[in-house]
Amino acid sequence: MNDRKGPGFRSGPAFEREPARRVFAAELRETRHQFRDGEDEKSPTYVLIPTGVRCNRIFIAGTLTEKERRGDQNAYYQARIADPTGLFYLMAGSYQPEAMQQIAKIEPPAFVAAVAKPGVFESQSGALRVSLRAESVIVVEKDVRDLWVLDTARATLQRVDDLGKSPDSKKAQEIYAPDPAVYRRMAYDALAQMKI
Amino acid sequence: MDLSEVTERISRKMESRGITPDRKKIESKLHRLVDEFGVHVSEAERTVMNELAREHSLTGMGTRSTELREIKDLVVGEWVTLQGKIVALTTAPSPAIAQTGVIADPSGAIRFVVWARANLPVMEAGKWYRLESAVVDEFRGVPKLNVHGGTTLTPVESDTPLIPSVVPVKDLAPGVASVRVKVVQEWEVSHERMLQSGLVGDETGTVKFIVWKEEGKEKLVPGTVYHLYYALVDEFNGRLSLNLSPATCIPDEGDIAVASGQTFRGVLIHVAPGSGLVKRCPVEGCNRVLSRQNYCPVHEIQKEFRYDLRIKGVLDDGTVTKNVLIQRELVEAMAGITLDDAQALAESNPLGMDEVFLRIRDAVQGRYYAMTGNEIDGRILVRQCSHIAFEPMELAGLLNRAGGEAQ
Repeated sequence: MNDRKGPGFRSGPAFEREPARRVFAAELRETRHQFRDGEDEKSPTYVLIPTGVRCNRIFIAGTLTEKERRGDQNAYYQARIADPTGLFYLMAGSYQPEAMQQIAKIEPPAFVAAVAKPGVFESQSGALRVSLRAESVIVVEKDVRDLWVLDTARATLQRVDDLGKSPDSKKAQEIYAPDPAVYRRMAYDALAQMKI
Repeated sequence: MDLSEVTERISRKMESRGITPDRKKIESKLHRLVDEFGVHVSEAERTVMNELAREHSLTGMGTRSTELREIKDLVVGEWVTLQGKIVALTTAPSPAIAQTGVIADPSGAIRFVVWARANLPVMEAGKWYRLESAVVDEFRGVPKLNVHGGTTLTPVESDTPLIPSVVPVKDLAPGVASVRVKVVQEWEVSHERMLQSGLVGDETGTVKFIVWKEEGKEKLVPGTVYHLYYALVDEFNGRLSLNLSPATCIPDEGDIAVASGQTFRGVLIHVAPGSGLVKRCPVEGCNRVLSRQNYCPVHEIQKEFRYDLRIKGVLDDGTVTKNVLIQRELVEAMAGITLDDAQALAESNPLGMDEVFLRIRDAVQGRYYAMTGNEIDGRILVRQCSHIAFEPMELAGLLNRAGGEAQ
């Protein structure tokens, strides 16, 4: 709304929270490009997903199927969340105390809604993997999962329609050369698993 | 004497003509004229501008342009000649200023300032004047016409009818504007010089208004539709407000269905600290939330607080996020807990108010909602909130969209 030129005495644009993107597990699994927007130490980092949107945060709703507590001194939780296309591997350590406590209380299997920060790291075998640091994990009703599948399918189809229309999307085309048919199929298969 | 503003103005004019100005040189020339030769700043500005214009063979800059211009087409940094009617005079904020007000022609209106040292004849409201070589500039984002020592001011006879063009509230921008609106709310005045403040709106949106105490000013009647001609549109912290002191307010027939705010759909992605059970300051008209130690930022320690429920959160549709503030009745319905229950829970539980926060958060965070309300200070004050339900029709539509093109 505010595209008016602000008066000079204001100190730049107001802080804007990063939106939580909706991405299927199968698309996130293909992600391997990470970048920082700006030189500053506090500049946000993003992963660029194949359909061409930068993600600093993602929102997922699915079934928490397994959780595991690891480490002694620096205990952390790992959780697997299933969506219709695959699995999200979520992590919550001592820097995510809220999410850690929430996961500790959850009895799998359960429908959960989670907010997480994605990052790309290199595994021991040298492959690039996406990690998810959980911000919050909350037990929800089944209809939240259903709405999320619709929401994520809609967002995926929109990104496919918008391929090449933004600088980020163009960059994603160079890096991943995404085939629109693959992602339409992904959305279709996810939707088709739901019972009308 | 600080001449950096004048230097900047000249430099910007040069830049607008594609020339890279030497700011140091411009400033030193100005200083020489003003400090050593005692030239008026406005005259020094004109001299330097003319000199530069000659140097770069530019035309139409700084020279006295006598071509009449329309107010709506004025651009910041220009020297202009125009003819208009003084539609309002406002109280000058400083002795350095002789007159301030609004001048209008058939195309639009602009605020003006007449500097005291310009020694110009006093203009009268309702009369027409021709202003030669006035300067358009900007103060805190508001375009303004500077009437200075170099301006020639001549009264003219004119009976051109002025019909201000009315703009929708959503298109308001800092400056001067005329609107047709309904008074939807009247607020408590926050200042002794203030006569009235509140909210006016049309089909496209709402905006705050202020009327200052001045002779002959009357309050607007809530629920009534008005034509507000030549109101001053101010911006503060990114929010607009209408100053009606100089405006002409004419009641109008009919009614307006005022926009009741936007509806935003998304996930309640975050429930912020400060949500849940809160204590409010009991002092009349205060209502601020107290700290854990029952401390009000204005009225200090308050033992007789009132409990309240609220949610401060973030609604996120995957592309845009909106801060939302949700009041008690809606929180009770969303979280399935009444204020009394919450109070009892806080008093009987070792975690106290934190327990209420967790309970509410776990009931609402991560869920899909449609929320309606007005956005004030970057936060939507939610008036309606409903769960979004799963629509099989939507699934069918998306299946078509995904499958129709893939196969």
